[in-house]
Order: sequence, then structure tokens, then C-alpha cells
Amino acid sequence: MRQAVLGHFTYADVLLDAAKRLKDSGYDVTVFSPIPLGHEIEHTLGGRKNHIRYFAFFGAVIGFCLGVLLTLGTAAMYVLPRGGKPIFSITPTLLVSYETAILFGVLISLIGFCIFARLPYYGKRIYDDKVGVDSFGLLVDDIKDDKIREVEKTLREYGADEVKTVEEK
Amino acid sequence: MVENLTESGMKKIPYKEVNDDVVRTMTHSGAGYYIALALSIAVAVLAWGLPWAYQIFTGQGVTGLQSPVYWGIYLANFIFWIGISHSGTLLSAILFITQTPWRRSIYRSAEAMTFFSVLTAAIFVFVHMGRPWNFYWTVPYPNQRQLWLNFQSPLMFDVFAISAYMTSSMIFLYFGSIPDLAAVRDRVTGWRKSLYTWLALGWRGTDAEWHWLSKAYTFFAVFIIPLAVSVHSIVSWDFALSKVPGLNKTIFAPYFVVGAIYSGSAGIVTLMVILRKALKIEKYITLNHFDKLGILLLVMSLLWSYINFLEVFTGWYADTSFENESLIYRMLTPPFAYMFWLMIFTNTFMPLLLIFRKVRSSIIISLIISLGINVGMWIERYLIIVTSLPRKFLPYAWHDYFPSWVEISITVGSFAFFSMLFLLFVKFWPSLSIYEIKEDIGIPMLNKRKGH
Repeated sequence: MRQAVLGHFTYADVLLDAAKRLKDSGYDVTVFSPIPLGHEIEHTLGGRKNHIRYFAFFGAVIGFCLGVLLTLGTAAMYVLPRGGKPIFSITPTLLVSYETAILFGVLISLIGFCIFARLPYYGKRIYDDKVGVDSFGLLVDDIKDDKIREVEKTLREYGADEVKTVEEK
Repeated sequence: MVENLTESGMKKIPYKEVNDDVVRTMTHSGAGYYIALALSIAVAVLAWGLPWAYQIFTGQGVTGLQSPVYWGIYLANFIFWIGISHSGTLLSAILFITQTPWRRSIYRSAEAMTFFSVLTAAIFVFVHMGRPWNFYWTVPYPNQRQLWLNFQSPLMFDVFAISAYMTSSMIFLYFGSIPDLAAVRDRVTGWRKSLYTWLALGWRGTDAEWHWLSKAYTFFAVFIIPLAVSVHSIVSWDFALSKVPGLNKTIFAPYFVVGAIYSGSAGIVTLMVILRKALKIEKYITLNHFDKLGILLLVMSLLWSYINFLEVFTGWYADTSFENESLIYRMLTPPFAYMFWLMIFTNTFMPLLLIFRKVRSSIIISLIISLGINVGMWIERYLIIVTSLPRKFLPYAWHDYFPSWVEISITVGSFAFFSMLFLLFVKFWPSLSIYEIKEDIGIPMLNKRKGH
């Protein structure tokens, strides 16, 4: 069973400084916050890639193709002449495909989010209610037993309000 | 800016107070709430449910619809509710992309308004149908004879646009609420705990979760804007792609989109006035919000008036007998003339008062103007349909349309149905965005850093 240390901070900048120090020392850190820290976190801990854009793009492309298939494909399956109107009409095809492109773009981006954020997850994970209110949490996990004191000391040095050791499953 | 005020003009308060206040709005209800809920359910059932059942049982003959007017007040209501739905999600998405601070306190309820009004509008399609149980005929499904839908009909565009819009609006509303549902989960007990644990999807607020949330949310916003514009354009094409005088106007798509944003913004103002008073959240929805919304209404009013003027003028300029007849019937023939000029008063002249800052920051006047705008916008949709179809090309076929009691009752009932959904929403969903209000208050820093 591995150990993890969770430190609570009142101020986000102090937490980020502590996170940077621990990350630079080779620890695996996770930041909990009640609000997105966006630029601040990218500035201190480095940026992350944005894979959702591929999901959005390919979702929209798939949706567009499905729209075309639905409008033109079904027209080809049962040819029904209507007062000299074209069997394969471009305008409605584009309109319906536009809607399906957006719909699938949204749906597949949502799937992308679920994959990367690993949600939904209903099992037990390390969490403290306080980080949903007004506390900023710094979780250092997967620590070897002999390093726990060192991590706790670092967190306290940076002014953590509370430091506790938790067991990981 | 005053030091203890946020960018949106709200007082800076501790983070904990935001959680407390929002959870309070969900868990504490006075007698007034239950009376309002009971009333709205009763009116929805009596004024909407029963007359609709009567209409289904007896047939469409109980309505005022007859040759040549087969589209009446139901479709006017359909356009009205789709229009109301526009501002919520569209405005929320536009203000999100432009990073406008005053969006944060109002967008959640506005998005909910979108979802509920699309739902109300969608039900009007069923009400309008003589045989609602055959609705599945408009849905593409494989069948033995390989006989598919006629995609060349604007009504089919509608089915796709509205289904896509309803699904995307629901995802947009739910997705942006996940962190708040988690915050509520951590505060409540009993059945609420189980419900919000399930809804919050196991959200913990880690840096990775926030990162992916913000990236996905941005894409949703980018997708929603062109979708919302297309939805009301397509609704306008239900009419504009016909040959009926008064309906076949090229200006209809932008006219409908502008009208939709206009009525939706007015809907937001009305809703915010009621919401802030009823839920006692005056500190989150401030006079500054009404000031900004007032400017938006003013701009939309000018745009709408311009397009409305153009619509009349181009018809007049054509000077054909059927265009002239359609205009005279709408603008100069009672009772439609009274409605038309009332609409011009409420939608073109009254909103001009919003030029004055004092008017914009007066809650009562904002409420009156916003209600006036929505009365006007309802009239606009009603007149578009019921003054065009009775005056088509051949005078021998002319026939006036007046709604029957069933149609009027269902119209009234739809407002109760919408109110019922909204009253349930404020108790089941955080109607203010906890994390975005906190963002507005600012990130607590020990050493003030320079903004990035």
C-alpha cells in the first residue's frame, strides 16, 4: 500500500510554489482547487496539451459525413420524383449536415472530456470536501515511506494550514 | 474600480459564503415557493393538459384553424418559445468567449431558461399536430420499404435543428454545472447526497479536471453560437421558403435571429428580477447586471426596429396588390392594427428609455420594459402567421382566423408549464454558478502577482 500526503493552503500562489518545488524534486503532484487556476497553474507547473480539439474536429467531420449520408444516401435508396425537383438536392443536404456536424462535434468532445478527465468515476479516491469550498489542496502521491517526512516538512515550510498522510489503495 | 468590488460590480465576499448561499437557495423554501409551484402545476394541468387531451380526443376541429389558415396560434407560440430560448445559451456562449465578467452570476439560470423554453416550444409542435402519436414519422429510421424522410422540406430542417439545439443546450447547461453539483454534493445529506453524487460524476476539482473542463467548455461555446443562429434561421425558413405574401421575405432569417436574441434578453431581465427577489440573491445579481443587460436590450431594440422597418418598406416598395393587401391587413385593419401598433410602442419606443442610465438601473422600470418587449415579441410572431395566411393571392379564398378557447387556454397554460419547470429547477440545480462567482471574486493570493 502506497502513501500520499495532502496539504491544505489558503492562498493559491503559495500552493503553486510548493507544488513547483515538489514537482521539480520528482514527486507526482495533484492540485485541488475550488475554482480553475488556469493561467496561474500553467505559468508555474507548465502547460498541458489540448487533445479535445481533435475530438471536436473529427466529431464535426463525422457528423457532417453522417448528415450527407442520411440526406443523399436515403434519397438514393428510394428514388421518389417530386414534381421535377432534384432527387439529390444540395441545399437541404448542406443544412442537415451543418446541424449534424455541430451535434456530433459536441457529443464527441464530451466523450473526449470524459476520457481525459477520467469521469464519471464513482469509486473511492483521495478527496477532501474543503477543496470544494475555500481551500486549495496539494496532493503528493505515490511516495516511498522514507520520503513522507520530507514531503510533509516541505508543505509546512510553504505554510500549509493542514497536512495529513492518507493511504492510497 | 472600487477595491472591494469585483469586475462585475459585486461585493467581494468569502468563498464559503457563496457555497452557503447557493445551497440555501436549493434547500430552504418558504410557503411562497410551494404556493407558486402548486399554482403553476394546477394551471399547467387545467389550462394546458386537459384542453390538449380534449383536442386530441375530439380532433383539430376544436381549434379556429380552417382553410386557408392551417397554422395558427400554436405555431406563434412555438416561434415565441424558441425565440426566448435563444438568449440563454447563445448569450452565455458569446459572453464566455469574450470573457465578459457580468456573465458569471446570470448565465446558469439563462441556460436553464433556454432548455425549458425549447422544451415548451417542442411540445407545441406536438400540440399543433393532429395526430401527435405519429411524431416518429419525422424521425429517420430504417424501414422495410426503404422509404425515408423528405429532407427537402424546411420542416425536416426544423426537426434536426431543434433536436441538435436541445441536446447541445442540455449538455452545455449540465457540463458547466458539474463542479457546482460536486460542491452541493459535499454539503447535503440524505437523498440529495445520492442524487448529487451521481450527477457530479465523481468530480474532485483537480488541475487535470479543470483543464479538460475549460477546454471542452470552450469548444461547446464555439459550437453553440453557429448552432443557435442556424436554429432560428431555420425556423424563419418554415415561413420564408413559402410563396405567401408577408412570409416570403429574404430578411426573415436575420429578422428572426435578432428578434430571438431580443426577446430572450428581455426574458433574462424579467427572470433575473424575479429570481433575485425570490431567492434573496441581490448581492450576486446587482444593478450593474441590469445596466449591462439594459444596454444589450437597447442595441437589440434598435436592430429589431430597423429590420422591422425594412420588412414593411420592401413590401411597400414592391407595390403589388397582394403585398399591399397583406400590409394593410396587418397594419391598418383592426384588431390586428391595435396589436401591431402596440408592438411598435413596446418594442421600438419604450426601450428607447434605456438610453438613460437611471432607467437601466431601476429594477421596476427594467421589469416593465422587459415584460413589454416580450408582449410585443409574442404579438410579432402571432401577426406574422395570422395576418399572412388569411390574405393569400386569391381573394375568394380569404378567411379570417381567430383562435378558439382551446388554443388560448393552451397558450396560457404554456407559461404555467414553463414556470413549473423553472420553479423545480431552482430547487434541484444550483441556479448560480458557484465557481464562476468565485472566479469573479478573485483567486486568493498571498503575494500579489502580476496578471498573466
